Amino acid sequence: MIISGTNLSKVYGKRKVLDNVSIGCASGEICGLLGANGAGKTTLFKILFGLITPDTGKVVLPNQSIKPIGGIIEKPALYEYLNAQDNIHLFASIQGLQLTKQEIATHLIRVGLPIDRNDKVENFSMGMKQRLGIAIALLNNPACLVLDEPFTGLDPLGVSSLRKLIADLAEKEGLAIILSSHIIEELSKLCHTLYVLKEGKLVNAGPAQQLIAENTDVYNICADNIKQAECLKNYQVEFKGNCAMVTIAASAVPYLIQLLDKEQIYITSCTPELSMEKLFETNR
Amino acid sequence: MQYLLKAEIRKLFKQSKTYYALGALFSIELLILFSAYYQGTTIIDLLLENLKQKFYFEGTLLNGNLLIYLILNTLWFHLPLILMIIVSGTLTSEYKDRTLQTIMLQPVSKWKFILSKYIVAIAFTLMVVALLAISSFGLSYAFFGKGDLVVYLNGLNFFDATDAIKRLQWSFVSGALSMVFFSVASLTIAILFKEATKTWIVSAFFLILSNILLKVDFGDNWFNQLFFAKLNDTWQYFFYYTINWQQIIFNSVLSLIYCMLFMGAGIYWFHKKDIG
Repeated sequence: MIISGTNLSKVYGKRKVLDNVSIGCASGEICGLLGANGAGKTTLFKILFGLITPDTGKVVLPNQSIKPIGGIIEKPALYEYLNAQDNIHLFASIQGLQLTKQEIATHLIRVGLPIDRNDKVENFSMGMKQRLGIAIALLNNPACLVLDEPFTGLDPLGVSSLRKLIADLAEKEGLAIILSSHIIEELSKLCHTLYVLKEGKLVNAGPAQQLIAENTDVYNICADNIKQAECLKNYQVEFKGNCAMVTIAASAVPYLIQLLDKEQIYITSCTPELSMEKLFETNR
Repeated sequence: MQYLLKAEIRKLFKQSKTYYALGALFSIELLILFSAYYQGTTIIDLLLENLKQKFYFEGTLLNGNLLIYLILNTLWFHLPLILMIIVSGTLTSEYKDRTLQTIMLQPVSKWKFILSKYIVAIAFTLMVVALLAISSFGLSYAFFGKGDLVVYLNGLNFFDATDAIKRLQWSFVSGALSMVFFSVASLTIAILFKEATKTWIVSAFFLILSNILLKVDFGDNWFNQLFFAKLNDTWQYFFYYTINWQQIIFNSVLSLIYCMLFMGAGIYWFHKKDIG
């Protein structure tokens, strides 16, 4: 594991915001932290970063590196009165990095930001700020990247391009990435491992696809002529426009798709409708 | 550490609010200069109506030196107030914009970061006082010329022009130390309160309280000698006929100790407290 936190607990007043939580992430792995607002995700991240001291438990980071962990908490916090280049220069300089203009440009290009924008960051879109925040987080080459709700406030195009960037950073650069969200769809598309937090407790954890399969009873299958499908009569189905909400086990989905194909019903999407109630049930 | 200092200086001078504050300070200085000119005429006429008939004064008494002295008298309230707003703002804005959190996510030592804020705050304060001193001397001499200085301090004290200039220069140096104390205190208050409005209210209260306590006579005891509020008019000691250097040095060293104490407490609190 590149980063691990074991038995982490934190109490604010009488409220236990984090209760004996353990989390870990290996090189090239993307771990998702799923939880409703107030579940303790941000507190856990702040503990991983060392911004908050846990009441119990410990965090282990790679100690040979100058900056073992980089990331963004809640939303990117940048000097809005400076431009992107100056922000990178400032955050690099405080950690002893003296970057040339060319190196700053390389950092911007790495996260897909234009190098010819010289206006203040306050004019940037949320997506661009997220990218700049990631560029700053990646200064000094940390082995682990932690992103708190990175998709919040982004348009679909922004979400898709940020998702690609995160996947590339894990796959091509071998970073251990932990990201949080309260939107399961975003995490399921990216993460290898999922951790589910509820009221400060880790209620579920495991390989993302396995967790999704185990906790999915209904799949949303969409096709133009889905209502004509004969094979669907063997299942409990609820039609909504061109989509059918089919109650089916994950293992039976490939067979159903084959049957639909034979009937020349060409599906446009098949999305698991995760049972959040089931996922958030305490399994640990 | 030097990189942190450079970054702090860069941040301070890249923010438009710094220039608004400097603009406000120099506007007030100009305002004082002109109001002092009109008030000065009345005061001088009242004080010296009889003396002018018996003594010879070189040049006009309403001169640049008197105006600088009048500026000095009014400077030590609004200057620390504006300095406290700028200096505390260097930290409260980082709390508000959460850039402090982004900084703390980098491999940066907490105590070095806050120490660099204190150092830049002190340097900025000294720079502002120096600029105000230069502009006070420059404008006053340019418009009203040099001349003998008459000061009412437990009686009328007269200083010839050359002596007056030296005393005025020293009083700016001494006043700068008081300003440093208020700047350091405001940064410590910002560490404690984090939020800008609360910090400003507490800083303004601290300044007003210090000014009120400065006027209160606690008698001839150790409290009157050692209490920080009593050190803020040390600059006035330069306008007694005989300069009490021993007392001035004692007060200055004590002011420095107070600065170190406030700074030490601030660094300790900042280091101990969780960020975010």
